[in-house]
Amino acid sequence: MEAFTYYLPCLYAFLACIGFSLLFNIHGAAGMLICAGGGALGWLVYLLAAPLFHSDITQSFLAALVISAWSEIMARLRRCPVTSYLLVALFPLVPGGGIYYTMEHAMSGETALFLESLLHTLGLAGALAVGVLMVASLARLVTNYQNHRRTLTGGKHP
Amino acid sequence: MKPDYNELLEIVSEMGFRLMLSGAEIYRVEESVSRLLRAYGAERGEVFAIPNCIIVSLTSPQGKPMTQIRRMPSHGTDIYLLERYNDLCRRLCRETPPFDQALESMRQIERTHKVYSLPVQLAAYFLGCGMFSLFYGGSPMDGLCGGICGVVIGLCLALTSRLGANLFFKTIAGAAASAFVALALTAAGVGHNSEFIIIGALMALVPGIAFTNAMRDIMAGDMVAGISKAAEALLIGAAIALGTALALGLIRTLTGG
Repeated sequence: MEAFTYYLPCLYAFLACIGFSLLFNIHGAAGMLICAGGGALGWLVYLLAAPLFHSDITQSFLAALVISAWSEIMARLRRCPVTSYLLVALFPLVPGGGIYYTMEHAMSGETALFLESLLHTLGLAGALAVGVLMVASLARLVTNYQNHRRTLTGGKHP
Repeated sequence: MKPDYNELLEIVSEMGFRLMLSGAEIYRVEESVSRLLRAYGAERGEVFAIPNCIIVSLTSPQGKPMTQIRRMPSHGTDIYLLERYNDLCRRLCRETPPFDQALESMRQIERTHKVYSLPVQLAAYFLGCGMFSLFYGGSPMDGLCGGICGVVIGLCLALTSRLGANLFFKTIAGAAASAFVALALTAAGVGHNSEFIIIGALMALVPGIAFTNAMRDIMAGDMVAGISKAAEALLIGAAIALGTALALGLIRTLTGG
């Protein structure tokens, strides 16, 4: 039962992503399930990485890597733009709480806490961006390599 | 047969414009347009795009340069349209049909475009925001209140968009309205933790992918596009904080807490 409640947020992330995929005008059950599955998978990775790293920035980074790889693979399989899936699947990792607590500290005039949570929020956003970037750059390299191979073997360009 | 370069320019910039309007990234717009140009046999064609403008320029075989600039109105992201236009662009590159046929297929996509009705969208706001309230650690009642606040944000965004407000103002208004409702629901005893409710509802406003896309553009070398998008993302983040602070501050002053 304890394990169940520990992993319950993955289910919430799944359902929340279904809601958000409607807002970005995604039609078709397959697209929605891929988005929501990506969101839940990302949070699962985040939770599983917790005992190993004890740092939510590293956990976010790993989760972003996995979500990004998932979206790239699914986009290849379904011949769609990667953004379609990445956009929604990343939502659970976005530091919404960070923005709120930063604002809260700023309002109550606690400068030290405010700066700390501001930097932490920016760090989380940066971890997401770097995670997505690494996978996107790798995917780009693979595509370029394949195109290169094709022109070499296809070989008869005028 | 040599293509008519005036019509080619028209088609190509229309395609770029529509791609960007449905929320494509800068590099996708530039790549699609230059592929299309090459597919139709225009050797010397250039395209440059930033978030609110596309410039396409090409030189006809007679050496006459031609340019078209399209200004982008403010736009959101519509994945359905994006996928359809992306498919169409690939097909045009593969088959290079006559121009009027290409233009007709673009119009066809526009005609058959489908969006969810407002009630469905509000239900989506309810589901998304409510689940995020639970996700951040709220009780089931908090989830319900988060959903209600999400619906408030959805209504607020729909109303301010109809009035033609800019993104910054829309975000402040949405954040403030949802924070008011969250505090009212907590004061009425329906919700337990106002912070989880507010955070859950705010997820409908956060510039989630904007920041990541901005970094992507910067890494691809499109500095202008990347920096302006990153600035937009940071501004929206600030607007969320401002709107929420406005509501919280007002309530605290009024109740003397």
